[in-house]
Amino acid sequence: MSKKLLEIRNLTMKFGGVVALSEVNLHVSEGEIAALIGPNGAGKTTVFNVATGYYTPTAGEILLDNESVVGVKTYKIARKGLARTFQNVRLFGDMTALENVMTGADSKNKVGLLGSMFGTSTSKKDEERSHKKAAELLNFMGISHRAGQLAKNLPYGDQRRLEIARALALEPKVLLLDEPAAGFNPQEKVELGNLIKKIRDAGFAVLLIEHDMSLVMKISDRVSVLDFGQKIAEGTPSEVQKDQKVIDAYLGVADHAS
Amino acid sequence: MDFSILWTDFASLLLDGIVVGAIYALVSLGYTLVYGVLRLINFAHSEIFMLGTFATLGVTMLLGFTGFEEPLGILAFLGVFLLAATVAGVASGSAAMLLEVVAYRRLRRNNANRLSSLISAIGASLFLVEFFRIITDSKDWDFPRLLDKNSLFQVGTAYVTADKIVVLVGAFALMIILDRIIQTTKLGRGIRAVSQDERTSILMGVDVDRVIAFTFLIGGVLAGVGSAFYMLFYEATKFNVGFLLGISAFTAAVLGGIGNIRGALAGSFVLGLIQQFSSAVLGYNWRDVVTFIILVLVLLFKPTGLFGEALQRARV
Amino acid sequence: MSTPSSTNVRFNLRDKFGDWWEGTTRNQRVLFRAAVIVFFFILPFLDNPILGTNESDFSSVLFYPMGMFVIMAIGLNIIVGKSGILDLGYVAFFAIGAYTHAILNLNFGFPFWINVFLGMGFAMLAGLMLGLPALRLRGDYLAIITLGFGEIIRILAINFNFTGGAAGLAGIAAPPTLFGIEFVVDDPKPFYWLLLTLMLLVIWAYLRLVARRPGRAWEAIREDEDVAEFMGVATMKYKLWGFVLGGAVGGAVGAVYAGQVTSITPENFTLQISIMILACVVFGGMGNIWGVALGAALLGYFPEKLRFLSDTRILFFGLLMVVMMNIRPDGIIPRKKREKVYDKNTGQEVTR
Ligand SMILES: Nc1ncnc2c1ncn2[C@@H]1O[C@H](COP(=O)(O)OP(=O)(O)OP(=O)(O)O)[C@@H](O)[C@H]1O
Ligand SMILES: [Mg+2]
Repeated sequence: MSKKLLEIRNLTMKFGGVVALSEVNLHVSEGEIAALIGPNGAGKTTVFNVATGYYTPTAGEILLDNESVVGVKTYKIARKGLARTFQNVRLFGDMTALENVMTGADSKNKVGLLGSMFGTSTSKKDEERSHKKAAELLNFMGISHRAGQLAKNLPYGDQRRLEIARALALEPKVLLLDEPAAGFNPQEKVELGNLIKKIRDAGFAVLLIEHDMSLVMKISDRVSVLDFGQKIAEGTPSEVQKDQKVIDAYLGVADHAS
Repeated sequence: MDFSILWTDFASLLLDGIVVGAIYALVSLGYTLVYGVLRLINFAHSEIFMLGTFATLGVTMLLGFTGFEEPLGILAFLGVFLLAATVAGVASGSAAMLLEVVAYRRLRRNNANRLSSLISAIGASLFLVEFFRIITDSKDWDFPRLLDKNSLFQVGTAYVTADKIVVLVGAFALMIILDRIIQTTKLGRGIRAVSQDERTSILMGVDVDRVIAFTFLIGGVLAGVGSAFYMLFYEATKFNVGFLLGISAFTAAVLGGIGNIRGALAGSFVLGLIQQFSSAVLGYNWRDVVTFIILVLVLLFKPTGLFGEALQRARV
Repeated sequence: MSTPSSTNVRFNLRDKFGDWWEGTTRNQRVLFRAAVIVFFFILPFLDNPILGTNESDFSSVLFYPMGMFVIMAIGLNIIVGKSGILDLGYVAFFAIGAYTHAILNLNFGFPFWINVFLGMGFAMLAGLMLGLPALRLRGDYLAIITLGFGEIIRILAINFNFTGGAAGLAGIAAPPTLFGIEFVVDDPKPFYWLLLTLMLLVIWAYLRLVARRPGRAWEAIREDEDVAEFMGVATMKYKLWGFVLGGAVGGAVGAVYAGQVTSITPENFTLQISIMILACVVFGGMGNIWGVALGAALLGYFPEKLRFLSDTRILFFGLLMVVMMNIRPDGIIPRKKREKVYDKNTGQEVTR
């Protein structure tokens, strides 16, 4: 069994009276694409928000590479290896594509503010590293030609790709993708699927939230299903697809009286 | 520092604290109402109040008061004061609506960022202060004594005077009227709807522009009438009177949980009392330092205020 | 979402200059910079009826308000323009610098040159002490806290004895003679040159910072603070640095100011100064140092040049802020970056 890079145990998250997550167990192992699916409002994005430290969980454990990250500051969790994208694209609009990615890459650098001001050798090395890394990633995502353009002026698809590049620049252990194919046409979805596989093959474990079933079924190694904040199924794509509870949840006939 | 004054003067500090709190309440409501619908602090609200003080003063000047008359009888007083308060309310109310149109509306339509709206409001505030500085000649302006301020009766160490009674009764009456407006009228319900969820209220057919304009109007009228009470109680104004009063009223709103109407009222009285008692010990010139420290502490440790509902972080 | 840009065709002076600048050689750039710097150093001698100010002496206008506005606007721009955090209490740093020089000089005989650095240091310390709690707050709350802070510093100066109370402090020493240049009250030129030197240092530091990691971090915070944090940016640290560095500039300028006027009172440090500096930043273009400098210079200059503006300048500043936000929120020289397009295949920059 390969190593679990991200492990979520008995996670509960309440917002006032709303129970967004209840006793959820999830994990992402080395070298896999794990998918998280579920109807609208099931609590998928909340999993990301809690894992990245944006919300403090009501109860439960979150382990990143066997280290608890509950209560750790968001930026520190990000540096420890958890990078994400957003359901609604959130780029630094008035910065260029290259700078967007460099900002992510900077988090691996050592140079401080005074070092930058006085132009120490570390600062020069770091600057070069960020630049090189960012250029590589733009190339990897196939958007090199956008490097000098402002993020807000990119076409929608490139914005989505740029967001992934920016997250990859943190060299994460686990990459969290929140509906990366939203708004894509079938052709683009296929390309994105291949890209995500390429990301996995490059050594990043991926946790993917996605509504497009055919995409999920095609690329993921393991699928977990959330419904009303509870995990109702887990398994290989084909197992999950046949699960009656999952079918009910998606058809909306499940009994949620409790 | 002499703490014994807290006991010996307890009743009079209490009374003054409540009177001052009542004035703060009328101003702080404007902050809280506007915050509710716009999620922005209306930086120019203090100047709406300032404008009201001059409107109040203007009425008495037009009526020929010079400040040397004998205090009026009760009926004559009520007539003069009602007129002055009404004019102040109308003046401040219309100024507030104008402010909304000039400084906020276009920015809101263009979906400008918060920073722009804040800066625009600050600019408007600067403009108003300076405008009044110029036309009032940077002077302190005294308000004629309309009412006999000799003590009517005494409760402990507190001298109950007619002006304090007028302020308290008037302010409470206004608060009840406001509560009725918010609870029962269509526009009042609109304010509540927009405060809760702007997008949904648009879907439900609420005319957000009108609701916002109405909110500014109410906030302005309350500040204007509040300024008349202020003039009655303090009997002086100056172009920069709004600044510190605005900070106090805003602190009161934050203390009660900004956006929360009843909270603003409670916060105002709490702040009025804290100010009176702390000034008695530390000296009056430390009053604003104390206010500021309270503001910082509340924002840092209890940003939802003493009575506010737990606000969540923005959703991602 | 947003549509692809089609703005490249519009003629625009900033882009023209940018194109020209990129085509220059290293030597040409050095020459250009030197020429600009020399021009500003000899500016006080270029007093003439067209350029000169009729309301007051030209070289004293160059020191105050123009020079002071420019350098303070650049300092404030770090926090307001670059990181998008509204600081309404900038005058506090200015006051701290001025009082540092005044108090240390009058009580302990510390010379000006030491006090400039101490003034910077105390302003930074104050920035740290205020920023540590306050920068955790949301934008408009922060604005009101800083507003209160600026005012509190003034009220404290009125209430304390060692600050001279409401009467303030007088008889503060001017800077001692340096390289044969004498700092005397009736000649503002040396003070202008001092300010200019300080300004060059600040611009040098600023340009280095914004071209590198700190600049990206600040911009990311301005664009979306939450996302910056998700991307591993230590947002609190960078906000604090911005706040403290802006404070350092304000503190240094305050000490220079005290050395020039030689007597200060709390009334020199009102809220209006903070807001006027903010108006300079807003007018010039938040986040663009050249815009900010130009805007501040213009706003310092015109009220001295034009009679009808000199009495009503603050009125005009307030109006300007409202108007700018409504019709041109990016200021006279927007911070918008020049976009470059690279060829998909060759990776070469595509010329427009
Ligand atoms: N900050 C918050 N405050 C209150 N409730 C919240 C908050 N964030 C999420 N929720 C609630 O938690 C539940 C789960 O939301 P979440 O965004 O995680 O769903 P999701 O599975 O990502 O849905 P979708 O597919 O629509 O993106 C919803 O009922 C939502 O209203
Ligand atoms: Mg979601």
